[in-house]
Amino acid sequence: MKPSPALRIVTIAGVVLLLLWSLGPIYWTLVSAITPSADFSARPIHFFPQHFTFDHISRLLGINVERIGGVLVWAQFRAALFNSIATSLAATVLCVAIAAIGGYAFTRLDFPGKRVIFLVVIATLAVPGYAVLIPLYRIMIGLKLIDTYLGITLIYISAYLPLTLWLMRSVFDSLPIALEEAAQLDGAGRLRIFFNIVLPLVGPGLTAAAILTFLGAWGQYLVPLIFSPSATKPLTVLIPEFVTKNFIDYGLITASGTIAIIIPALVVIFLNRYLVTGLLAGSVK
Amino acid sequence: MTVAVAPRATIGGRTALPGDAVLGMLMVAPIVITMAALVIIPLGQTVWDSLHRINPMQAGTPFIGLANYSRMFADADVGHAWTNTLIYVGIAVTIETVVGILAAALINQVKVGRQWLLAAVILPWALPGVVNSVIWLWIYQPGAGLLNGILTAFGLPFDNHVWFNDRTSALIAVVVVHIWRMMPLTIVIVLAAMQSIPGHLYEAAHIDGATRPQMFFSITLPLIRSAIAVAMTNSIVAGFNIFDEAWVLAGASLETRPILVQIYLETFQNLRFSYGMALSLLLTAVSLGVSLIFVLRLYRTTRFE
Repeated sequence: MKPSPALRIVTIAGVVLLLLWSLGPIYWTLVSAITPSADFSARPIHFFPQHFTFDHISRLLGINVERIGGVLVWAQFRAALFNSIATSLAATVLCVAIAAIGGYAFTRLDFPGKRVIFLVVIATLAVPGYAVLIPLYRIMIGLKLIDTYLGITLIYISAYLPLTLWLMRSVFDSLPIALEEAAQLDGAGRLRIFFNIVLPLVGPGLTAAAILTFLGAWGQYLVPLIFSPSATKPLTVLIPEFVTKNFIDYGLITASGTIAIIIPALVVIFLNRYLVTGLLAGSVK
Repeated sequence: MTVAVAPRATIGGRTALPGDAVLGMLMVAPIVITMAALVIIPLGQTVWDSLHRINPMQAGTPFIGLANYSRMFADADVGHAWTNTLIYVGIAVTIETVVGILAAALINQVKVGRQWLLAAVILPWALPGVVNSVIWLWIYQPGAGLLNGILTAFGLPFDNHVWFNDRTSALIAVVVVHIWRMMPLTIVIVLAAMQSIPGHLYEAAHIDGATRPQMFFSITLPLIRSAIAVAMTNSIVAGFNIFDEAWVLAGASLETRPILVQIYLETFQNLRFSYGMALSLLLTAVSLGVSLIFVLRLYRTTRFE
């Protein structure tokens, strides 16, 4: 079937619209981060920057300026960036490791209660986070884990474990069992089979699970708003504070937004294939 | 190890090794402990506590039965928040589904650079909801924002227009951000279903003289029905759980306040813990119930065809 010229024009117009809708707002943020504040309210509006400045970024990075409106912006931003990276990475590594080990057991090993435990864990996919937030808050206060890395990381793990487990089990399920049986005949034990033979084969599955967990933890807002109010505050909690403090500094907001965009953007650009696989496996609950 | 000579039993077509039961339980122990301690026990606690009066400002935690639940119906703010939430869900699910299917059909037509187009389309979904919200907060900004800039450039009287002064435009402004973030998920799910339709169906239809719209409605749409059901379930649950966009764009404003913001305010500002729990359980039940109805209905119509 050869597309008619009319259809080609419609397709091209549609693609342009779709790209404008998806990337336009992101483009505008990036452009604003390097536009001088004086140019912001210029009318008629310029869709391409007329002047270029590093002012917002250097203020965010605390170059030549320590406090903005009485706030130690760079110190706070540095801490929040570190917190976001640390908690998201820790949650990702632990969540995927726990899910991979457990998922293998659920797929290949027989033990009492296997089916029931799996069903109960997967059923919690249907439980939204806020339904357990308040008891969790009281538990975390009791354990003195409010505003600690351990506390927030544990919550992220519990939030993404069902999805990762579901993904990992479907990955292990699709592996041919013959390979493992051959290794058994050669005298390899369960753990050796798992670490030396199975794990190297499921790299793509592990990547998909890791991406979903990482992006999820990186974007969390309500949970750290409650459980990470100050010392472990992530970027997502810090950035809106630039809005609600007594000054609204759009240069600072767009500059910090740009930095919060970079990491997810890199993931989407370079790992999109795994992301899509994970999304599809994860959405068909 | 000399396990090779050990007797081997076969259960359910799989080869079992001695010690599997213990090893299996050890391997799933971290999952069981984490989920029990941080999800299942707290969930039970939520159900139990919602039947009590728990407020750090008041002594004692007396059992009050369903009083927290009956109170919701007389609570004007809760009613307002539910109305807003239903408006969000209605608009978001409709647009995400209709436009999402059209966008997926469009991407499916594209032969060159499809992965790059898909990556661009997914990007808004991958960003933190808060970052999406500040991006749009800047676009909606009255004096210097992109939206008023574009409208003014077309000669329309929107210079310094405040979008959050009017309830209708404020609700739309919030839901647009939500759609921007969630529509990529619908597109990915629907596109995958479209790509799994065998090409010879379209070739046969083409030989029979079918037009493209006819093919879309009689081949594509019926075959992606279950994918649409899955996508709609995701949209519905995400719509009921809207928080970041409303909170960052309009704060506690009653005009745009969704139910989850109401729960947050009741719990962490008014410290009515058990009332917040009752509200969150109702929200869980409603969002699951509505999406379940949709899935069942779609599956049923598919089966009878």
